[in-house]
Amino acid sequence: MIPFSILAVVAIAGALGVILGKQPVHSALFLVGNILALAVLYLLLSAEFLAVAQVIVYAGAIMVLFLFVVTLLTAGKEESEPPEDLSGQRWTAGILAIGVGGALAVLAAGHPGPKVAAGLPVNFGNLHGIGHLLWGSDFLYLMALAIMLLTAALGILVLNRPMRRTHVRHQRRKEA
Amino acid sequence: MIPVNWVVALAAIIFAIGAIGVMTRRNPLIMFMSAEMMWNAAALAFIAFARQWHSMSGQVMAFLIVGTAAAEVGIGLAIIVTVYHRRHRLDIDEISGMKG
Repeated sequence: MIPFSILAVVAIAGALGVILGKQPVHSALFLVGNILALAVLYLLLSAEFLAVAQVIVYAGAIMVLFLFVVTLLTAGKEESEPPEDLSGQRWTAGILAIGVGGALAVLAAGHPGPKVAAGLPVNFGNLHGIGHLLWGSDFLYLMALAIMLLTAALGILVLNRPMRRTHVRHQRRKEA
Repeated sequence: MIPVNWVVALAAIIFAIGAIGVMTRRNPLIMFMSAEMMWNAAALAFIAFARQWHSMSGQVMAFLIVGTAAAEVGIGLAIIVTVYHRRHRLDIDEISGMKG
C-alpha cells in the first residue's frame, strides 16, 4: 500500500503540474513525471511489458516530440493565457469536472469488487503473454493498430505538404 | 497486491484533472498534454482490471491505447504546427474554423 500511495501522490502532483503550468515546457516536464509514476505503477500491477512500452513510447518518443514542438513554437516567448470569450466557462467546466471526477473516485473506492483468489497465470503481463495474444486471438487489433499508424503517417505527410504549391494553384485559378 | 478499487479511483482522479485541463486551458499544447493524461488514466484502469480478473485482454487494450496515443499525437501536433505557421498565435480559437 505504501508504494502505491507514493506513486499516486507523484502521479497526481504531475497531473496538477500539467494543468497549472504557466509555460508548455513546464507542463511537458510534469507530464514526464506523471508518465514515469504510472509506468512504475504498471510494474506493481504485473504489466511488465506495458511498463517498458510506456517508458519507451510515452516518455521517450511522444514527450520528445512534444518538447520539439514546444521549443519550435514557444522558444523565448512569454505568452500569457488568452482571455476567455465565454464568461464563467472556466469555472463551470472546472467545477463540473471536479464533481464528476470526485463522484467517480468515491464510487470506485467504495466498491472493492470480488477478490480473485487464484494465483497469476504464467507469462502474465510479460512479452510472452502479450505476444501470444497479439499474434493469436487478438491479431485483428494489431492489424487495426498498424493500419491506424500508417494512416496517421500519411495524414502527417498530407498536412505538411508544401503550402506554396496549393497557394500558387489557387492564385492561378483566380487569375484564370 | 494493491486493491484494485484504489487504482481505479486514482485513474478517475487523473482523468478528471485531464478533463479540467482540456476545458479550462486555451493553449493547444497544454490541452493536448491533458488529453494524453486522460488516455493514460484509461490505460491505468484497463491494467488494474486485467490484474483483478487475471485476464490479459485488458493489457492488450492498454497496448492499443499506447499505439492510438502515438498516432493521435503525431496528427495533433502536425495540425497545431500547421495552424501556428499560418496564424502565428498559440490559441485554441484559431482552430475554430475546423468545426465545419
